[in-house]
Amino acid sequence: MPQAISLSGARPNIADLMAPQPPVRVPPNTSLTDSPFANCDPSYKCSTLNAIPATEQLLKKSRLPFALVLAPYRTVGEGENPVPVVSDSVIARCRRCRTYINPYITFVEGGQRWKCNMCFLLNDVPAAFDYDAVNQQPVDRWKRAELNYGCVEFVAPTEYMVRPPQAPSYVFVIDVSHSAIQSGMLATAARTILDSLDRIPNKENRTRVAIVTVDSSLHFYNLTTSTGEAEMLVVADIDDVFIPHPGTLLANLTENMDTIRSLLERLPDMFKETVNVSNALGSALQAAYKLVCNQGGKIICLQSTLPNSGVGALKLREDVKLLGTPKESTLLNAASPFYKSFAVDCSRSQVACDMLIFGGQYSDVATLSCLPHYTGGQTYYYPGFNAARTEDAFKFAHEFSELLAEEIGLEAVIRIRASRGLRMNAFHGNFFIRSTDLLALPNVPRNQSYCVEVAIEDDLKTPTVCFQTALLHTTCHGERRIRVVTLCVPVTTSISEIYANANQKAIADYFANKGVERALSSKLDDARDAIVNKTIDIFGVYKSHVLGSGPGSTPQLTGPSNLNLLPLLALCLIKHDGLRQSSQIPTDLRANAMNLLRTMPLQLLLPYLYPNLYALHTMPPEAGEISENGVVFPPVLNLTVENLEPHGCYLLENGQNIYLWVGRGVVPQLCVDLFDVKSYDGLRGGKITMPVLDTPINKKVNLLIGKIREMRRGNYYPTLYLIKEDGDPYLRLWFLSHLVEDRTDNIMSYQQFLQHIKDRVSFFGTYLDKSN
Amino acid sequence: MNFDEIEEQDGIRFSWNAWPSSRIEATKAVVPIACLYTPLKEREDFVQSPICYEPVMCKAPCRAILNPFCQIDVRGKLWICPFCLQRNAFPPHYKDISNTNLPAELLPKYTTIEYNLNRFANIPPIFLYVVDTCLDDDDLKALKDALVVSLSLLPPYAWVGLITYGTMTQVHELGFADCPKSFVFRGTKEYAAKQVQEMLGLAGSAVRPGQQANRPGQPPQMSGAANRFLLPVKDCEFVLTSILENLQRDPWPVANDKRAQRCTGVAMSVAVGLLETTFPNTGARVMLFSGGPATEGPGMVVSNELREPIRSHHDIEKETAKYYKKAVKFYDALAKRAATNGHTIDIFAGCLDQIGLLEMKSMVNSTGGVMILSDSFTTAIFKQSFQRVFQKDSQGHLQMGFNATLDVQTTRELKVCGLIGGAVSANKKSTYVGETEIGIGNTSAWKMCSLTPKTTNGIYFEVVNQPTVQYQPGSRGLIQFVTHYQHSSGQFRLRVTTVARNFAEGQSPEIANSFDQETSAVLMSRIAVFKGEIDDGPDVLRWLDRMLIRLCQRFADYRKDDPHSFRLSENFSIYPQFMFHLRRSQFLQVFNNSPDETAFYRHVLNRENVDNSLIMIQPTLTSYGFDTPPQPVLLDSVSIKPDVILLLDTFFHLLIFHGETIAQWREAGYQDQEGYENFKQLLETPVLDAQDLLMDRFPVPRYIVCDQGGSQARFLLSKLNPSTTHASSSPYGAPQGAAIFTDDVSLQVFMEHLKKLSVAGTS
Ligand SMILES: [Zn+2]
Ligand SMILES: [Zn+2]
Repeated sequence: MPQAISLSGARPNIADLMAPQPPVRVPPNTSLTDSPFANCDPSYKCSTLNAIPATEQLLKKSRLPFALVLAPYRTVGEGENPVPVVSDSVIARCRRCRTYINPYITFVEGGQRWKCNMCFLLNDVPAAFDYDAVNQQPVDRWKRAELNYGCVEFVAPTEYMVRPPQAPSYVFVIDVSHSAIQSGMLATAARTILDSLDRIPNKENRTRVAIVTVDSSLHFYNLTTSTGEAEMLVVADIDDVFIPHPGTLLANLTENMDTIRSLLERLPDMFKETVNVSNALGSALQAAYKLVCNQGGKIICLQSTLPNSGVGALKLREDVKLLGTPKESTLLNAASPFYKSFAVDCSRSQVACDMLIFGGQYSDVATLSCLPHYTGGQTYYYPGFNAARTEDAFKFAHEFSELLAEEIGLEAVIRIRASRGLRMNAFHGNFFIRSTDLLALPNVPRNQSYCVEVAIEDDLKTPTVCFQTALLHTTCHGERRIRVVTLCVPVTTSISEIYANANQKAIADYFANKGVERALSSKLDDARDAIVNKTIDIFGVYKSHVLGSGPGSTPQLTGPSNLNLLPLLALCLIKHDGLRQSSQIPTDLRANAMNLLRTMPLQLLLPYLYPNLYALHTMPPEAGEISENGVVFPPVLNLTVENLEPHGCYLLENGQNIYLWVGRGVVPQLCVDLFDVKSYDGLRGGKITMPVLDTPINKKVNLLIGKIREMRRGNYYPTLYLIKEDGDPYLRLWFLSHLVEDRTDNIMSYQQFLQHIKDRVSFFGTYLDKSN
Repeated sequence: MNFDEIEEQDGIRFSWNAWPSSRIEATKAVVPIACLYTPLKEREDFVQSPICYEPVMCKAPCRAILNPFCQIDVRGKLWICPFCLQRNAFPPHYKDISNTNLPAELLPKYTTIEYNLNRFANIPPIFLYVVDTCLDDDDLKALKDALVVSLSLLPPYAWVGLITYGTMTQVHELGFADCPKSFVFRGTKEYAAKQVQEMLGLAGSAVRPGQQANRPGQPPQMSGAANRFLLPVKDCEFVLTSILENLQRDPWPVANDKRAQRCTGVAMSVAVGLLETTFPNTGARVMLFSGGPATEGPGMVVSNELREPIRSHHDIEKETAKYYKKAVKFYDALAKRAATNGHTIDIFAGCLDQIGLLEMKSMVNSTGGVMILSDSFTTAIFKQSFQRVFQKDSQGHLQMGFNATLDVQTTRELKVCGLIGGAVSANKKSTYVGETEIGIGNTSAWKMCSLTPKTTNGIYFEVVNQPTVQYQPGSRGLIQFVTHYQHSSGQFRLRVTTVARNFAEGQSPEIANSFDQETSAVLMSRIAVFKGEIDDGPDVLRWLDRMLIRLCQRFADYRKDDPHSFRLSENFSIYPQFMFHLRRSQFLQVFNNSPDETAFYRHVLNRENVDNSLIMIQPTLTSYGFDTPPQPVLLDSVSIKPDVILLLDTFFHLLIFHGETIAQWREAGYQDQEGYENFKQLLETPVLDAQDLLMDRFPVPRYIVCDQGGSQARFLLSKLNPSTTHASSSPYGAPQGAAIFTDDVSLQVFMEHLKKLSVAGTS
């Protein structure tokens, strides 16, 4: 049982942020075997509650949120265990509730039948579990992966297919209006596609590619001409879009590689003289849809100009007067119904959309990101993109190339089953809810997170309950598969148990999702209030029902040690770009931040909420070196300006950006050794590329930056900024806004926030008594 | 009076060369005062010694041009305009004028003169190819080859463009270096002119943000289209050749029970829209190459369901042709737009069936274009006719004039009734416009988007003098024809023909003697065909009969009610025969032909001169025998004999017909045997003669060789006078010639009726 600890007065113990998630303590012998992998790894699925209230009343009383956080299709890194694959097409499922056989069922009647752990129906065990009919020999059923692993993948037979597995199809919809050329987006995009053609999943040589460029007209490319030279077909009738050629615009990548390459090489030149400032994205999307709607696929939009003609045209609607007011939410919602209804059409036809938005000006990220939102796609935002800056070009090229190389799943659906008495109640993430609990994802990206709220409908009478996520998908190599992720969690009637097993990181993820939802459906104020109030509730209930203290003021804010970071994470959320009270955050930036909060897996979300800060000028000798356990980082520092020495040099990173803060008193030698610049005065703030120098500190810092850029799942490539203590005030304030433990932007410091919670908790009991 | 000499000098032939002096007398003459005029008739002297100065004009509003019929006062340096009788001073540079030193325009040989004006078109002629790609592979290949060859026939400074179409229409951008690029239009949609312009980016290009529209001191950029869709041949020959060579069949699938989806209407509307935006009032030709009917979109003539046949004359007459009226309306509107801008439309059909030429004909007829009907683009008819469009003169210039206007001015006794030919009204409601309307009337000027040295128009006049006006002996009427056009070199030229003819009193034999029966027959044919386009066929025939009878009543010698006394003087004698053949011709008897063929035949009749038109009305038949030199024979079944070879020239067909015996001998191979050299020669002579005829005829005629009794012989039989039909019994036992299976009346019967009715004196 974790200790009750006092939070007040001390800095948060941020080392816990990096610590692994607490294990789920399942009673012994719950699983069939003693496999350590019977329960899925929390990175695939975790619950906010690792002990589940047996009744709905108890859950209500606890005031804790009950939700699952999933990333079922996450990438598996080097050194990690791969997901075991069951390839004999023997898929045992419960006849009644369709649960897949898993480590938490029980065998009965001498192993002839198995009892479903969700609905308790007795099912026959397939003969193949004990006897291999092909090789005519007995087999050991206990070795079957699905009985030993909480995360397993089945190769699906034809019954799981509506049609044969479709080849991956990619349609690039590329803005070629004036700004796309000027910013260098087109050239960089064309180059990146060209360089990534060999990385696009294409093991079967079935992958198909189409390119549509768009300004005030649509330009299609016939890639299968008799001459081997691509042919451009312009359709200017954007109000009545049609496909100008039958069949061959979506071309086989392998067969037409040379044509595609030479087209991509010439593409930037073709538009270099353009004066066209129009963009008809909506029409281009309709055209792209027509190209892929029969087989499904992926539409990748590279958008530089606000779409301003044809269907789905948008207006420069951002109004700085609305920022920071209750009306700000209207700007964060879609401006046009086109994008959502188009996305729903796409979902139906197994078409996903990714949006890469390059904004020199207002880009309406809020509206454009509807497409990825409802189709299982991804949104990337590059504000102020200018390819002439190598940092910009490199970041985009890297992320875009990773996106292209991503081994996505196709034609996917996710269904989550749970033990009797539990119901999936609400879903958050990028997908479309097809029927009440079936999530449709034309593409399932690798590292997106979904959050699912759970309700207790009937009392739970078993010692444990299970959640099973089944992701039915086609791999990009043409195989139909079902990934089954099973999580078993104990049930309790003790509120202390519940509190002792609450998962603060999962709760933070839940807060992030609910906060964004609330901000969009209501007001940003309401979203922040809800997060704060929920935190107060949790600490209030803990005080009154776990500690049993009466109402009234207490000198300390006390909580269980497993929730020690919850106030900090709540504070981070309300200080985050996505939710912060401010009249200074451009709508596009805010909308993008909200998208990230909604879709990032925990591994990325936590540093995004509470960045890592390291001192570089006082690194211990082993830091920045490679040890047995990989790259050694310096100790993390709490995010407060108190930790910044005037002569210091610091690295702060949140997974999206890396900031190098240089105090104005920095010693010139450090400038020389780290940046190859004589002194502080010679440093220039802004986006930079680290020089590669033959000095220990430069090597260390380059190693750390390199590691930061690759150590997390996902395609993001953090941009490096140099910030001078007395440099560009905008950059400086931006950096300082990450120091969440301080009072920033007139928002409470961490200690003030604890005080606020404590004050409210003091009167919590009274309030509780009245309400109950 | 030598009609040929006049025609040689002025390119003109009149129905009457002496004119009745009053309206009433003129009406009694039945055939109107009219002429067939070939404005650009070749005159080698104009090429040898060109006139390179501006014409001298009468004061406004008359503006008649100084001509040999003007009275001049060399001392007073004055001239009197014969049209308005005003005195005009010669311009200062004519100060040295004297009776022995006269400017060309006052010399008798310059009743027709051509001024080379010191003005040039901005852009030399433009050729926009509109190419059907719904063709089978052989056809497409032949067409592509022909088009590639044509690029070498165009002068290097000419501009070209390419539109291809099938299910959709593609406008190819020739100035785009990076890859083949085309703009695609839906085939099923009617695009307004403005939409076409916008979609091709011709409607004023967007201004680059943050940059001034034009650099100071530099001329404004040429219209975007000038260097995108249309380019000088010399600059784009390589690109265009490569596009043409790589041209593929329309890629959209066609089911077995369907016709290809062909959007001819959209393709043409895009072509017209492209030119009208970029080069209004500049000489240009849209050349349509069509391999079948439009089956979708505006201007469709038949659905793409094969079980639905394309409309026939019967369907049109019964008004059951579903798409006919809509299509005609659509193409008429395009024709009007093209004509307004001086743009010509040509149609080259390569199709065994119809392509909808009837619906599309106004595009060609209103713009002075050409029509070529061939069974396929692989045929010599297409290939050679297409090449002949690009014939050049001795200076290497295309024999084409562009964007022309023909202005007619008359002395006050005469007024203009109208014009029949490949032109549209220029809506000039001058004082020269008469009350009667014949052809395109209500104007004294017409626009002709394109002219060749052979283009011949029928122009009709009326006499307006009332009988009360005393006839002045020796008085004459004058007509001046002024043709302003863009020469294919880009230079503007002015061709002026001034003619004068005497007036004569009503009963004066001078009038009858001046009758040109050949010209009159052609002029009447044009009226009949013009009427036929509007009226019912039988009405036109009745009108022709009535006119013929009245002419005979007026000019024949006869005793009342005595048919045997009926005599026509020589210069009227064969006129009834022409009318007989005209009545039976494909121009008026449409039911043996498809609507497309009718449109084609009528088109050609409306552009040819007297000689060629007569061949069309009454084909020539030449007989080749052993004993006699080749000789013209009656276009009659009696001319068919077993031991002769016949050569029939209908203008559209050249047919060599071997009599039964000749055919047998030929089959037996006598011509290759010694001692039968004369037979060999007999076989060869008509072939050589036919080749002579083929040489410069346009369109290239269909060439047929057949034997008596063979199936192809029907072409000959249908043209012959059925003097011996299956219904007529020979008075002398055995028939003289071959029997023709027909119910038509023979020329003899026709003449009998004519005599009877003429002498009856009822009208
Ligand atoms: Zn079950
Ligand atoms: Zn005058």
